Amino acid sequence: MNNSLVVALIASGVAYGTPLLFGALGELLAERSGVLNLGVEGMMLVGAVMGFWTVQRVHGGSALALVLAIVVAAVAGTAMAAIHAFLVITLRASQIVSGLALTIFAGAAGLSSYLGNDLNLSGLPASHAFHPVFPNSMQSWPIVGPIVFGQNPLVYASWVCVIAVAFYLARTRPGLNLRAVGEAPGAADAMGIDVVKYRYAHTLAGGAFAGIAGATVTLAITPQWVSGITGGAGWIAIALVIFAFWRPELCLVGAYFFGAMQALAPELQARNISLGPTELWTNSLPYAATVIVLVVVSSRGARRRLGAPAALGVPYVREEA
Amino acid sequence: MTADGVAVEARAITKRFPGVLANDAVDFEARRGEVHALLGENGAGKSTLSHILSGLYRPDDGEIRLHGQPISFHSPRDAIDAGVCMVHQHFRLVERFTVAENLILGDRRGAGRRFRIDPTAVEAQVRKLGERYRLPVNPRARIWQLSVGERQRVEILNALYQEARVLILDEPTAVLTPDEADTLFETLREIVAEGRTVIFISHKLNEVKAVSDRVTVLRAGRAVATVVTADASPQSLASLMIGRTFELATRRRDTATRGDAVLDVRDLWVEGDRGSTAVKGVELTVGGGEIVAIAGVAGNGQRELAEAIAGVRPRTRGTVRVAGRALRSGDPRAAHRAGLGFVPEDRLGMGVAPNLPLTMNVELKSYRHGTLGPFLRLRRMRERALAAIRAYEIKAPGPDAEADTLSGGNIQKLVLAREFAGELRVLIAASPTRGLDVGAVDTVHGHLCDAAERGVGVLLISEDLDEILALADRILVMYEGRLSQVERRDDMDEIAALMAGAENARP
Amino acid sequence: MRVTVERRLRQPRWLAVAVPAGSLVFAFGVAAIVLVATGHDPVSSYRQLFDAAFVSTGSLDQTLIAATPLAFTGLAAAAAFRMRIFNIGAEGQLYMGAITGAAAGLYLGGRGGPSAFVIAAMVVAGCAGGAAWASISGVFRAFFGTSEILTSLMLNYVAGYVLTYLIFQSESYWRQTKGFNATVFPTGKPLPSSAVWPGLTVHAQGGIVLPLGAGLAVLAAVVLWALYRRTRFGFEVQVLGDSAGAARYAGVRTRRKILAVMAISGAIAGLGGVSQDGDFRHALDGDPNGLQKQAYGYSGIVVAALGRYNPFAVVLIAFLIGGLDNAGNTLQGADFPSGLVGVIQGIILFSALGGELLVRHRVRVVRRASAVAAAPPAAAPEASP
Repeated sequence: MNNSLVVALIASGVAYGTPLLFGALGELLAERSGVLNLGVEGMMLVGAVMGFWTVQRVHGGSALALVLAIVVAAVAGTAMAAIHAFLVITLRASQIVSGLALTIFAGAAGLSSYLGNDLNLSGLPASHAFHPVFPNSMQSWPIVGPIVFGQNPLVYASWVCVIAVAFYLARTRPGLNLRAVGEAPGAADAMGIDVVKYRYAHTLAGGAFAGIAGATVTLAITPQWVSGITGGAGWIAIALVIFAFWRPELCLVGAYFFGAMQALAPELQARNISLGPTELWTNSLPYAATVIVLVVVSSRGARRRLGAPAALGVPYVREEA
Repeated sequence: MTADGVAVEARAITKRFPGVLANDAVDFEARRGEVHALLGENGAGKSTLSHILSGLYRPDDGEIRLHGQPISFHSPRDAIDAGVCMVHQHFRLVERFTVAENLILGDRRGAGRRFRIDPTAVEAQVRKLGERYRLPVNPRARIWQLSVGERQRVEILNALYQEARVLILDEPTAVLTPDEADTLFETLREIVAEGRTVIFISHKLNEVKAVSDRVTVLRAGRAVATVVTADASPQSLASLMIGRTFELATRRRDTATRGDAVLDVRDLWVEGDRGSTAVKGVELTVGGGEIVAIAGVAGNGQRELAEAIAGVRPRTRGTVRVAGRALRSGDPRAAHRAGLGFVPEDRLGMGVAPNLPLTMNVELKSYRHGTLGPFLRLRRMRERALAAIRAYEIKAPGPDAEADTLSGGNIQKLVLAREFAGELRVLIAASPTRGLDVGAVDTVHGHLCDAAERGVGVLLISEDLDEILALADRILVMYEGRLSQVERRDDMDEIAALMAGAENARP
Repeated sequence: MRVTVERRLRQPRWLAVAVPAGSLVFAFGVAAIVLVATGHDPVSSYRQLFDAAFVSTGSLDQTLIAATPLAFTGLAAAAAFRMRIFNIGAEGQLYMGAITGAAAGLYLGGRGGPSAFVIAAMVVAGCAGGAAWASISGVFRAFFGTSEILTSLMLNYVAGYVLTYLIFQSESYWRQTKGFNATVFPTGKPLPSSAVWPGLTVHAQGGIVLPLGAGLAVLAAVVLWALYRRTRFGFEVQVLGDSAGAARYAGVRTRRKILAVMAISGAIAGLGGVSQDGDFRHALDGDPNGLQKQAYGYSGIVVAALGRYNPFAVVLIAFLIGGLDNAGNTLQGADFPSGLVGVIQGIILFSALGGELLVRHRVRVVRRASAVAAAPPAAAPEASP
């Protein structure tokens, strides 16, 4: 039963969906503060390459190397986000163009490739990688075995993050402030909340999450580095935030849905189910599905009740003297 | 009224903006336990002074004293912490939050400081305050669900929740019906009875007389006088405000010249933005040369009505006829071709394209005429812009200036210049003088009356009863999407009752 | 001391040029730092760059080859971004244009020299393909309000898979099935000789070949400029791009505009795609490491932003960036890690964005005690002073 297509698909969906989930959580925080960051793909790629580089270079135990790699990946993502944050918050540049610039700068034809090739990282397997932590006996329990216990620690970390972010937004004072900043920065400012600080903080946090998302790909999913390895995951993460209606719990559901779609092609191939012309469909499926879901979600009815943070994308200038 | 001492004092406050001296060495003081009015026309400097007192602006010169101690505010937050709270004309509330969440947002002490938020305590407090001050509001309601009057209540509750000692209210009755305004005045008296101070900003004489203990009159940035309200007559206050002998300027014209109906609206139903019906079965006619005014507090469907007649918004049912011609729904160009002009209430958001030059803005309605096939005649457009600037005395750096670099009054002149071009039969003017200074208001009124003299039918939609009484031949009142006719235009009680929704004006 | 930022009342012309120029200088400066930090010599790298781009024999030819697609995708981006429709899908629209254009060439072409009829048909087909693909996003945006950014982007990936499928995973019309290599390495069927686009050879500097596509790009720039600045259509585009409210008020048919602008943008990108077939590759290139690795669509956005969406500036900047790309490709190796080009492009765009602030606003440092006026209240609430 554990080898059935459905179970395998869900289990793989969880695995593949984890970078999407991290990326989406990060972008969710940034967007809740009112900053749209389209550079997620670029930030992920930089996190991917820097995380990979760390495990290749660090001598020591696996645990140390991997933890360090995650930290380095987060820092790398944050550094990328800082560029965007400075441009759009302080210099009030167009958030859309700046995010695109970040993707070009850091992406598959940019910094991440530059670093990866310069540091000779391609073609080699990772010296350390994340593996499932639970014993094989637990992993073979029916259904929950592969889906829950067969995952690597980053997956579990992502669950903790979802709970933490949800709690942060709904139940804490800083979370309330954040929501105010994204909805009505004028009101928040009048109440003494430092809009600029919140926007910076959460945009940078978004970068950190994106960096970790990238490292998830090179250290857990395919422990290897190739230029452009995330294959558009950053963009799907952005779309995810929209149809999760900016709620962390729904990001989880969406991420695994898309992860499953990404897992479909390799799972079919592993079962020698002939792909033939269907390879085109299975490759395109995640992207086409994203488009369809986006269209449904942006219908007038849905948007009226559960829309974006009202001040998303608009630079905040305090009218003052 | 017991004046125990000075609560807040401003000495020699001076504030400049590019091109204008907003406050010129203003002296002002308000005492504990009093309602002190700041009276002046639009542009006199009232808002600037209040923004300085509440910490939004910093004065270029002068000082502020609170309870005798000099103090300087670097941000609105400092002022709130010091007990000076402003209730804004455009509310500073987060629409998606509940009332309680909005209050927690402003709370820097007590329940708000904790990391984990617990709304129940706040909700209880909101209920208590609501009962005490006659400001009942459901603390769990989301702001977007509340009416404008209820939102104002939330703003006031917020100030009380923050334990403000000085409340500044900026034109609070602009969004209230006459009855709601009376309730507000009672609330304010309750508040000052405890020793707090209320500063009440207004340009309406009758309100100032009704609610304040003392009044300071500002004119052109200077504080010209501070008087005890009971001792001052409306005439004297008005003279101080305007600086010359005040005549109730009615522009009532010769009512003999009345043409046929140029605007005929039947059974009009229009949808609002949030899915509710904004206009319910409205019928009205405007004759050539007639000024028909629609009174009413904002938010009762006036905006949707104006937009629907002008074709900017589609209508779900009903007909609109201009000079006998039926107009298609949702087609602004057809309306324009038929001779309908529209001055929208949202000048910057709709009346002009803010970042485009004047040459283009002047042509917003007429760019399809006089073209060489699909090609524009740029030189002619420029000439038309220059002519409009001259004719309407629009103060602008040049015809290529971007529209939003102009002042409000000049933008309005631009809009009028554009709408008056061509063969005008009907003009719809929605809140045309909102936020303008005295001179600009006068100019706009002049243009409206001139249009009526020329036989244009004018539909004036305004929240300013003074303006309506001065200009209108006939008055209608709009309430929750429906129109009522006013029988006796001098009867303020009737108008007030209709604005509050009474079915019949007469018992 | 405080830094104040205030809106300029007039935007001086020279600033509009100085800012992009300054961005280029700044970007090269920053990239030099990156180079030094990673152990490369910036001066020699830059000299090699300039040489490979414009100076050495055959360099101009190569630069034009690199610049032509950028001009198309740059114009495509500019056409849409001008109305604040963020068409990120030029990449996919280019692929689609290549597909439909190649089909026309294969079907209609025959022997003999380049035929005006065949080429015209290819142009039409290429534009149609790009326009149709872009219209998917256009329809969703116009009728459902769905963000064109995400839909056009997702469709890029789908278009890429379609392109690969046609050559690598199927026995399609476009695929070369005859010949020895056909089964070993999939390639596109070569275009018949009458479908090959001619070039104009200029006798200077050893002979420079101006591809037909380059000429078409310049023509497209002229048409786009005239359309947006001199016609009623363009007037409406400017109004809608500035204020949705004013557009409604003026009776501009918003949906039609969105559809039209997306279609125009896609058509231009599609033209870039068929130019790839006709000018350079002479077949449909479905290799994932070929056309799809060039990222013309995304670079086009950089070009458009740098040119501030002015069609003529876009073409000029496409030429410069084309030189940069060409040099990057030529010099690729130990001295020139791949990805450097993207880094420089990104920095150029960042600096242009940052400089944009200077064009619209005046930044001043104000001493607190002085009575100099600071920023006026924001225009939106009519705050009467």
